[in-house]
Amino acid sequence: LKEKKVNIPPKTQEFCGRTRREFLWQTGAGFTGVALSGLLDSGVFQALAAEAPASRSFVNPLAPKEPMFPGKAKSVIFLFMYGGPSHIDTFDYKPAMVGMDNKTVKVKTAGRGGKKNEGRIVEPRWKFKQYGDCGKWVSDLYPHLGQQVDDVAFIHSMTADSPQHGSAMLQMNSGKILSGSPCLGSWVNYGLGSVNENLPGFVVMLDPRGGPISGPKNWSSGYMPAHFQGTVFRSAGEPILDLRRPDDLTENAQRYLLDTLQEYNNEHLELCGGNPTLASRVASYELAYKMQSTAPEAIDMSDESEETKQLYGMDDPRTSTFGRQCLMARRMVERGVRFVQIYSGGNHNDTSWDAHGDLIVNHELHCGETDKPMAGLIADLKRRGMFDETLIVWGGEFGRQPTAEYEKGTGRDHNAYGFTMWMAGGGVKGGVSVGKTDEIGSAAVEKPFHVKQLHATILHQLGIDPNRLTYFQGGLDQKLVGVEDVEPIWELV
Amino acid sequence: MRARLIAAAIICFLIGITASYAEDIEDNPQSFPDAGAEYYQTQVLPILRAHCYSCHTAEPGGEVDSEFNMASRETFVSGGHSGPAIDEQAWSESAILRAINYEDSEMPPKGKLPQSQIATITRWVEMGAPWSDTTEASPAQGPPPVDDLARNFWSFRPVKRPEVPAVSDLEFVRTPIDAFVLAKLEEAGLSPAAPARKTTLLRRVYYSLIGLPPTPEEAKAFLADDSASAFERVVDRLLDSPQYGERWARHWLDLVRYAETDGYEFDRAKPEVWRYRDYVIDSFNSDKPYDRFLKEQLAGDELDLETASGIIATGYYRLGATDSGAAERLQAEFDELDDVIATTGQVMLGLSMNCARCHDHKIDPFPTADYYRMLAFFRGIKRGRGDSTRQIQVTPDGGDQQLAGRWEAEFDAAERGIQRTENRLRRHLKAGEADDFEEETYRPAIVRANSPLHVSEVDLAEYETFLTKRQELEDNQPIGLARALCVVERGPQPPQTHVLVRGSPYAKGDPVSPGFPSVLTSMEASMPTPKNDATSSGRRRVLAEWITSCDNPLTARVMVNRLWHYNFDRGIVRSTNDFGYAGTPPTHPKLLDWLASELVDGGWKLKRLQKMIVMSSVFQMSSITDDQTMERDPENDLFTRFNLRRLEGEEIRDSILAVSSNLNPKTHGPSIYPSISDEVLAGQSRPGEGWRQETPPEEQARRSVYVHVKRSLIVPLLAVFDAADTDASCPARFATMQPTQALTMLNSEFLNEQAKIFADDIRNEVGDDPKSQVAEALRRVTQREPNEVEIERGAQLMVALTREHGVAADRALQKFCLLAMNLNEFLCLD
Repeated sequence: LKEKKVNIPPKTQEFCGRTRREFLWQTGAGFTGVALSGLLDSGVFQALAAEAPASRSFVNPLAPKEPMFPGKAKSVIFLFMYGGPSHIDTFDYKPAMVGMDNKTVKVKTAGRGGKKNEGRIVEPRWKFKQYGDCGKWVSDLYPHLGQQVDDVAFIHSMTADSPQHGSAMLQMNSGKILSGSPCLGSWVNYGLGSVNENLPGFVVMLDPRGGPISGPKNWSSGYMPAHFQGTVFRSAGEPILDLRRPDDLTENAQRYLLDTLQEYNNEHLELCGGNPTLASRVASYELAYKMQSTAPEAIDMSDESEETKQLYGMDDPRTSTFGRQCLMARRMVERGVRFVQIYSGGNHNDTSWDAHGDLIVNHELHCGETDKPMAGLIADLKRRGMFDETLIVWGGEFGRQPTAEYEKGTGRDHNAYGFTMWMAGGGVKGGVSVGKTDEIGSAAVEKPFHVKQLHATILHQLGIDPNRLTYFQGGLDQKLVGVEDVEPIWELV
Repeated sequence: MRARLIAAAIICFLIGITASYAEDIEDNPQSFPDAGAEYYQTQVLPILRAHCYSCHTAEPGGEVDSEFNMASRETFVSGGHSGPAIDEQAWSESAILRAINYEDSEMPPKGKLPQSQIATITRWVEMGAPWSDTTEASPAQGPPPVDDLARNFWSFRPVKRPEVPAVSDLEFVRTPIDAFVLAKLEEAGLSPAAPARKTTLLRRVYYSLIGLPPTPEEAKAFLADDSASAFERVVDRLLDSPQYGERWARHWLDLVRYAETDGYEFDRAKPEVWRYRDYVIDSFNSDKPYDRFLKEQLAGDELDLETASGIIATGYYRLGATDSGAAERLQAEFDELDDVIATTGQVMLGLSMNCARCHDHKIDPFPTADYYRMLAFFRGIKRGRGDSTRQIQVTPDGGDQQLAGRWEAEFDAAERGIQRTENRLRRHLKAGEADDFEEETYRPAIVRANSPLHVSEVDLAEYETFLTKRQELEDNQPIGLARALCVVERGPQPPQTHVLVRGSPYAKGDPVSPGFPSVLTSMEASMPTPKNDATSSGRRRVLAEWITSCDNPLTARVMVNRLWHYNFDRGIVRSTNDFGYAGTPPTHPKLLDWLASELVDGGWKLKRLQKMIVMSSVFQMSSITDDQTMERDPENDLFTRFNLRRLEGEEIRDSILAVSSNLNPKTHGPSIYPSISDEVLAGQSRPGEGWRQETPPEEQARRSVYVHVKRSLIVPLLAVFDAADTDASCPARFATMQPTQALTMLNSEFLNEQAKIFADDIRNEVGDDPKSQVAEALRRVTQREPNEVEIERGAQLMVALTREHGVAADRALQKFCLLAMNLNEFLCLD
């Protein structure tokens, strides 16, 4: 290193004592990877990027991109009912099953217990009633959501390729039953970028009882770089891994340490001819520092009214966790996060929706935890004028069978031949239902839709053509929806 | 030193280069009688086929997008809706060039072509868009045909050793490599960057060869050594060190998507898989010829001499993700064979043959039948866990038999103890829990969850003891005898292979026999007739012999390109796993072929080439060049300078351990489990499952290549720094720059623990003087003498932290050590 006079500049809240413009110029001129616009006034930034020599131009993989066509939704909140909710006990009304309890019927099923050709009917255990102007039949498990059905679009004829949790989870999240592809949230961020670089563009919130089967594979960016990977946000304590500075370092002390670090790094940067890789690393520390305050702020509920918290059920121990996560999701969407996924259910068996044993205990638990918060989320988004720009998606990796899994009891095995999902907001029609399963809900019989059509619909609402969103990998233009062209579910949009 | 190196280079010129090599048409299209037409055919047409033809060709009168038809020169020139594509008055103003440069329109719409392909098309247009009608026979639409044109594609042609070009700056030429690179630089009127500083060079060669930084002592000794052979001696020492194999094995493990679990719902640990990792390390360390290395992995069990390492090598077939719970078994079987074809094709041949599974390859000349002929080589492989291991003798005598007997008895006792508790519990279990209990990996969690209700505390304690005992025994198997994860076939006769229509295992088409890709050879694969009691068909050996034959145009090219890639952070062919039409053509085709010839002629030994590469002037250039050169060679296509890069995750973790003097150099053996925080484990469906948190600290401090690779749970420090995805071959690491990396480096428990160890070690070594402490910390991370400013700055930080920010005196040094490990100079390599 060249000799320099000892000159320790006074520490400031500015970037290493340089002017803001110097900082912009030195780092912005050389960006290759870090999203920076959250740090900067974007107008100034773009002007600088334009001035930069072509060889060192700024390529930010998460920079906001124009959608392919004007999309209705800007963000997605995916409420993932992990384990597989029973459609015929919730939203897919089967009056013909009344009185059929315990009757053995011929029906093809495939689940964890293998393929079967007959089974003992378990009659839906809850009463249904009609709600809203649309007269939608909803079971007594959802008294709150029932109030919102005029804003909800139900798909009753969903199908998936696998009746096993591992591969079905991968398919619902990444389109493929095989491991290794990027998740929906990754594709959305790849296609649209993120408008707030101080927060991750793809956020995942887990059930405190555990993650889903295959854990992080469910928010992996697969063959795409890690910018597009989901970040786990906790609802209590520090929201993001390693966000909290060590206990023995105050905020000022850490700032001092960072300023000193950046002095070393800037000297080195200068010696290396302003190399863009080095400049990006310098800036990533500033972003990290900033994230330490923006991420906790995003989940800090102290500026939310008691009435709002109650709307989400945060005052009731049963609904407080999921309610808090739904409210966190709204706050993140407000701050520009593109894709938020909340898991209801974790671990295995009855701590998830996987009701193999006692259907009643299982579904009363999970519906009870989620009904009010979901209804609250819809209501809150509507009154804030955010509903039309926020697409809510509800469902699990599959549904459940009409028949019992075991000789005794009400437990139902998995069912990928037919199940229900719903969407709300984000420009989808309200009060509509498409597709049908047969009269006992064993398989989709009218307008069957595949997971990839659900994905296509989500991308379409965001202004992305699902058949043109491609990523070159392994000798092929890969797509979320697979090789063949896929149409969105036009009936809903 | 220079004189000696030049002499060495000249000897290479004289003895090494005998075969002549036709002038490369890319370098000099005018030297051929019909050079323009050939340039169009061999360079331009593949690009058009891959990126334009699907929308812009048709038989005369057929429909094409924007009415722009590339099928003939006439229609090409006249263009479509937006006017002529080629301006015959001003070639370089042509609309096609503006389109591919994304100036007005943007073509192809899926993404801009790589700069090298844009350059090829630009050059072709500026040559006057020469045409060749011999291509008219090719169907305008549909998959590329297997014809003479395809066989003449640059990577499918036989390798011919080119002559080393003559250059003027002889000073620069230490190895023939330098002449190839310099020739292109001189042609472009550019100069190579100045030689890197000695300290920079030392760091660079350490990371290239062993993936670790030099110690301050090693750096000091090298700086003090002015002899001509100082650098060469360092290179030789590093190539001979066991860390060389650890570093280079990591590259290979990335390629073959090495992981130690099955993935999917259960993500079970693969038995004995670490022996494959050790096999790869040992192979690099012993400089095993690359052809032998491939043969063992593909067919170690079918070679004439069966060796333990040959059996372990076939663990290659067991490394992928496998869904034991797959609903469609037959589909899963073919998915796994596809995974083997994808990996073998991309890694060994640079071909994405897997794209021809459901239909003819859309970009490369591989019909579907070729895919299934390739699959037929692997058709005998048994799927499934029960059939994936074999007993092998690790030492010739099988080790101490008595010891082995005792081990087995103890192991059985532990097994029985575990089963006793499990069997007692089983009858109490219901529904989902009972089903889960059938999965062995889930049992301990379920047993624990059922205590004390159904398993008494005493029984649970006993159960835990047996579990620990079994694990200990598994980790400490008697030397000599072991089980190996390996390939197992059904017997001498595999089932008949058929072409599967649209890739569906239920739609059998024509039967096929094993065969090589038709574009690469017309040779028939001649199959051996195995004896009735043979354990395998012998087919894989036939494939292995073809892949490693000297005539195979791809194997050597692909491997020398990887050597180049891992030393220079980019391949001569940038798409290291794709040497097909959609790949990026080589920036230095002659250099590539020269290296490929050297590899084969040198008996497929890698260390020799590795040494030549790091001894070259090209490797020893500075990463800094002047603005004018930057402007003329922005992507470093010509190697005007060295590419600065961020270290990879494993290099970062290993370097942290090394500089804090905490690295445990222990080699070989079962994998280690660095601690993972509960917050991260919370993402698992059963938090903590499959991760052994009790690994002792000294074991945790081993190199990253020994860290357990669990598909669904990657150590956070490695994950955040772009660890290889293990579901498919990883040809190149991403090097993202993200704020979460900074958070990890500043706030994580691991970094702060290491900073403490680092600080303690420095205090032991230099005492309590802050300036000496700072100097020593900087010396360790940068391997150079820090200057006064740097020392003063660090000392001042420590004073300020203590006096103004309430940091305890002994902690201030830890904070400085943390800072030191965050320096760009430490985490990046220039």
